Amino acid sequence: MSEREAFARRIAAMIGRFEAGQLVDSATRDALIEDLAAWQAERIPEYGRLERRGAWPPALPTDVFRFRRIAGHPEPDDVRVFVSSGTTSTERSVHSYQDLSLYDQAARTAARYMLFPDVEKMALVLLAPHEDEVPGSSLDYMLARFSDWFGSSSAWVWRDGALDLDALSKTLRDAETSGQPVALLGTSFAFVHAEDGLGGRRFSLPAGSRVMQTGGYKGRSREVDADILLAAIGKRYGIEEPLIINEFGATELSSQMYETTLRDAIYGSSGVRRLWVPPWMRATPVDPDSLEPVEGDQVGLLRLDDCANLDSVCCIQTADLARRSEDGIVVLGRTRGAVPRGCSLAADQALGRHE
Amino acid sequence: MSESASRIREQAAAVRRAGKQLKATALDTRIAWLVSAAARLTKSSLEARQSLASATGLSPAMVEWGARTTLATVDTRGLRALHDEATVRGESPVGLLSLVLAGNLFTASVRGILVPLLLGVPVLAKASSRDRLFPAMLVDALCETDPDLGAALGLVFFSGADEPLEEAFVDAADTVAVYGSDETVSAIRERHPELPLIAHGHGVSAAYCGPDALSSYHVAGTLESLALDICAYDQRGCLSPQIVYVDERAVSAESFATQLGALGLAAMEERLPRGPLPIEVGAAQAQWRGLAEVAGTLVRGDTFAIAAVGGPDVRWSPGYRNVSVVGVDGPEAAVEALSPLGPALKCVGVDEASRDRLGDVLARRDELGAYMCSLGTMQTPALDAPADGKPIWHGLLR
Repeated sequence: MSEREAFARRIAAMIGRFEAGQLVDSATRDALIEDLAAWQAERIPEYGRLERRGAWPPALPTDVFRFRRIAGHPEPDDVRVFVSSGTTSTERSVHSYQDLSLYDQAARTAARYMLFPDVEKMALVLLAPHEDEVPGSSLDYMLARFSDWFGSSSAWVWRDGALDLDALSKTLRDAETSGQPVALLGTSFAFVHAEDGLGGRRFSLPAGSRVMQTGGYKGRSREVDADILLAAIGKRYGIEEPLIINEFGATELSSQMYETTLRDAIYGSSGVRRLWVPPWMRATPVDPDSLEPVEGDQVGLLRLDDCANLDSVCCIQTADLARRSEDGIVVLGRTRGAVPRGCSLAADQALGRHE
Repeated sequence: MSESASRIREQAAAVRRAGKQLKATALDTRIAWLVSAAARLTKSSLEARQSLASATGLSPAMVEWGARTTLATVDTRGLRALHDEATVRGESPVGLLSLVLAGNLFTASVRGILVPLLLGVPVLAKASSRDRLFPAMLVDALCETDPDLGAALGLVFFSGADEPLEEAFVDAADTVAVYGSDETVSAIRERHPELPLIAHGHGVSAAYCGPDALSSYHVAGTLESLALDICAYDQRGCLSPQIVYVDERAVSAESFATQLGALGLAAMEERLPRGPLPIEVGAAQAQWRGLAEVAGTLVRGDTFAIAAVGGPDVRWSPGYRNVSVVGVDGPEAAVEALSPLGPALKCVGVDEASRDRLGDVLARRDELGAYMCSLGTMQTPALDAPADGKPIWHGLLR
């Protein structure tokens, strides 16, 4: 058995244990992260150059995915390459996969636990392009798999690069008539477009309906404060706010985190709105200078160690701000304008010739 | 007090009226006023160093250094020379300057305000929401020194997003000067296309060290001077070097980065500690440092990092004592690498032995308006140092 295969089995077994309702303790996870990072540092020269500081393996900044191919396998072995959105090459992160089975297992397990814990399948309404339209999008890939795994039916209300408001309206009216709950899944900017385009059309979706929104805006719609958008979605679709949750994912990751309120509401638990961290991930706010974990609920930069990132690097340093909250994480958003004090991106690109 | 459009108009009218007396005042009196006010401000700044540190995000030692070195440039001889040079063509001062101050460098308001007043131009200044204290202290110093002349300076506070207030502020002026981001400059230009605008948008600076500066005899001084240039104001200003070019025939970028860390920036941290790192800068810093480490060599200290860059790809750092060192084979290569920056290149610090040669190369590049100065003085420009390739009095006289 190759080393890769051995790691793949170890990771799959850990996710599988959770999927089977068994406990995955943090020491097992931490040991796997340690071993995996050491193996990846040997295989991926870029990661191997990072110096270890403190108790944990170094975390690779997400920006590196914009400038270098980060993979332990040769390019011809890629089975899928996810590319983040952006208008120039330096704005796009690229994440190459030799095999998507761990990605699929992690995505399915997390979504089952947090988004569909109470239903085997339900009607999905997808406010996003189909994966055939945008094959490089990890989100669209994930939504397509959700359609396979969790969809009793799937309506893609996205046509020719835009939200199809009439199709969305019709699908939701049909749901109202049938009394069958639906799950609306899409990007935050798609929900904003829906808000802007639906005008006076409001819905009263059947009990059990839910919303998952994800991602930032990246200039594709007006930006709306998260709380305002949450309230607007609730009002628009007739869904209680706890059943509207955010998913946190990124091109550089293979696993996702979900807000807790939907699961809490279903099972009658309580707690603040926070992100649940799957037990095969470690989410840690770190100090920006030392990159060491911050104390208590201080704000830090979000470091994510994702065991499902087998073919790239499992320890990732994001540019997101976050703090711990109860047993989860609250992401406070990505920093803006933290590029040069002196000059702007235009000059960066002019001098760096990165295009 | 919250501003209103009518209050801004009234204040502008009062400042304009006081400007008549300012213009009629003898030059010697004006100079004496400015020099006395600078001395008063030096004293009050040192007394208020803790408050200024909190307001600016710099360490108290850095506040003290910034106030001392900047206000030391306000002297009788320098002011007279500046005035004489500016007025040699016999032009008259404009009736009122509305001045938008930036928040990144607290002492930038000194040149921005004192130079127009020296030339007889009354000033209505808008302080940045990020730095209100020092501009207010500057106004106080000028008014306390001479209340009549001080009336030719007004200070207002309002959000840049408040268009009606901005309109009142801008409409009152003959000329508007803007220190700030390119976005701020563009927004004002777009909203007021007819306006005479003196734009001081974003920019970056670089340093060059030739073989003489890198020789064993001079290298210690070079490292100290460079460290001061980098650490001053925590590298937040457009005169802060973000890239240091070294002659690679004398030293490799990696070796110089190591020396700069150990003997320059670490020592400067003791003398002029860095202020607290804003978390959003920290986010950019973590990405910048990580990428630099992946791409080449990164020398880290507790509060600084130096990337030794092997190739032509240089990423601008987020400042706060994060700098790149690049090896080149002479000043021509350094200027060639900088040329795409055009007017965004503000200043090039250079060692004395390379000064003439670099100056010749810079002068041949019409697209570059950067001025040149000695290493160790990049953050302490003389009162009459050019700004954005133009004399500091550009736009103030007609």
